[in-house]
Amino acid sequence: MIAEETLKILTESAKYDVSCSSSGSGRKNTGGIGNGMPDGCCHSFTPDGRCVSLLKLLMSNDCIFDCKYCMSRRSCDVPRAGATPEEICELTVDFYKRNYIEGLFLSSAVQKSPNYAMEQLVRTVKLLRTKYNFHGYVHLKGIPKADYELVTEAAKYADRMSYNVELPSEKSLRLLAPQKSKESLLLPMKLLQREKAEFSAEKRKGFFLPAGQTTQMIIGASPERDGQILRLTQSLYRVTGLKRVYYSSYIPVVEDSMLPAMQSPALREHRLYQADWLLRFYGFDVEELVPEGEDLPLDVDPKCAWALRNMHLFPIEINRAPLEALLRVPGIGAKSAQKILTARRYTTLNFEHLKKMRVVLKRARHFITAGGKFYGSDDTATVRGLLTAAEQPKNAKQLSLFDAPSVLFSLPSGREAALAALTGEL
Amino acid sequence: MIYFFDGSKDAFLTAFLLAFRDDSAVFTAGNRQLSLGQESIFVRTDPQKALQCEKRLMELDKNCIRELTLLLRSGEEERSQIAFDYLKLIAKRKRPVRCDLSQDAVIAATECMRRVTYEVHRFKGFVRFMESESGALYAPVSPDNDICDLLLPHFRERIPEIPFVIHDVRRAKAAVWDGSHSFTAPLEQAEIVLSADEQSWQSLWRRYYASVNIPSRKRLKQMKGYMPVRYWKFMPEKPAAATGDLPVREPPANHKECGDDVLHPLGSS
Repeated sequence: MIAEETLKILTESAKYDVSCSSSGSGRKNTGGIGNGMPDGCCHSFTPDGRCVSLLKLLMSNDCIFDCKYCMSRRSCDVPRAGATPEEICELTVDFYKRNYIEGLFLSSAVQKSPNYAMEQLVRTVKLLRTKYNFHGYVHLKGIPKADYELVTEAAKYADRMSYNVELPSEKSLRLLAPQKSKESLLLPMKLLQREKAEFSAEKRKGFFLPAGQTTQMIIGASPERDGQILRLTQSLYRVTGLKRVYYSSYIPVVEDSMLPAMQSPALREHRLYQADWLLRFYGFDVEELVPEGEDLPLDVDPKCAWALRNMHLFPIEINRAPLEALLRVPGIGAKSAQKILTARRYTTLNFEHLKKMRVVLKRARHFITAGGKFYGSDDTATVRGLLTAAEQPKNAKQLSLFDAPSVLFSLPSGREAALAALTGEL
Repeated sequence: MIYFFDGSKDAFLTAFLLAFRDDSAVFTAGNRQLSLGQESIFVRTDPQKALQCEKRLMELDKNCIRELTLLLRSGEEERSQIAFDYLKLIAKRKRPVRCDLSQDAVIAATECMRRVTYEVHRFKGFVRFMESESGALYAPVSPDNDICDLLLPHFRERIPEIPFVIHDVRRAKAAVWDGSHSFTAPLEQAEIVLSADEQSWQSLWRRYYASVNIPSRKRLKQMKGYMPVRYWKFMPEKPAAATGDLPVREPPANHKECGDDVLHPLGSS
């Protein structure tokens, strides 16, 4: 059994990896223990409000890289520890059968060399799948600069893999993570995507990353603006076919003159996630949300900000508007939009109906009519005042309206995006 | 007219046959304060009538009986009335109504079912097993709704080689997988000898839980929203949990559960 102190060290160095989702894999139990749960499953929640779904661990925090923002960097004086593949497998299986976790999220510091670290990861996941007959979820971290053979071998056993982009621009990466390069992160992502496409085209047996790939960026450690970050995000979704991009508010765990000493505000991270959802499930394009050199407004959510800039498109009639238009109403999400579509087949909906159906009208009422009636205010300044006053009295600032191109409902592929919006998140 | 029944599906269907033309029918599976002047009737199960009723309802909407069984599992006091109103609407319109989402009866039924299925989903994560000396797993739970047997298929597929018991301590019943059969059985109190390592694994888990938290981003309200305090009782990572001590039967929740004991309207004895 692994020592408590070792577990503590390996967990504390892994916890700043945000990803904890266990969705997307339908691996079946074929003798042994465990299976996938395509919708994902949260097993616990920590006092910071995050869910515990996977056993998040580093194999070792003994690193030869010296990334400025990382607490496991070479030049940092922290206790070092490592675990053997056997120890990790045993821990995973025993936690799993007690239903503490949904699977394993295994990462590693670059111990000795990238290939050595990657080999250790591959060995562990192989052992877990073959000797321990474990069919639960496994998320493996890719080690930058490891050989492709090792990476593709890992992909045969893992459900999901991720390379962290870490910083939203090459310049910042060179500055803060000198041993990593844009290529060492993006190339393996593209390689895995290509291999996966081949794998499914040839209908080969077994699995190859059934839950795809994700990545993570640190927000607030470097000077990039939200506009730039979201453009990178959109290209990652469209070009590299990623499932998720995670944003992690910078938390100062190590001191360095090149890093800010302040924690980046959680609200900024929240706004980025909101915008991310708009890109993936609501048919928005990044050009509609924020110009490249600007940040998202903090006082209203990005959809609301878009709607306020495009008041000429509203109000829309709830009983006739197509799904794509409903999805663009502030306050109406994928579930509410679907409810409205279903319910209006039976009767002409009025505000009373919407309220009963628990469609949130606080924001939406300014942008819709129901049965021809309008209960909002159609004056942009008033609406903005009403929507921001309650939420962010301190941060409220006058915003330049009409500063973004107003592309009306330009869905990349209307039907698909709409469907994705309905089938939910990941 | 007030219709009392024992909470079972067949009793409900028997009563439904009697009541569905009665516009002021009140359905209840629990004790209920009678108001003066209201007539009441205690309906006993008539298997034949229940079958007849079920068949007819299935003709109108083939999923409604499955929905009825979900509704009757709810821990809400109003569950029988909600189910009655919903099925009555189906009987009246002679077709499925589940998509008429602005109808009160449909809204109430949908919400009630959602609370049951949502709790099932949550418990797939929140159940905590302890390992006994024999290797079998035991998990005490006390969910709001009567769901412990609905959890069974999930864990049976997941850990088919390990026998397990999910014990609903509030309703004194257990869902059991013995390695080849699954069944439910009444169970007041379990006596289990824990395996030698169990405490160490729980302690490791507590250590993991404490380490993975980021203290500088404390958001307790959010945590409690996702994982309500009432569920903490059997989770070793939460301080409220009685780790190691096996639970005794709890007093039933403030409303009477539909169990084996026959219920009588207040004042009728």
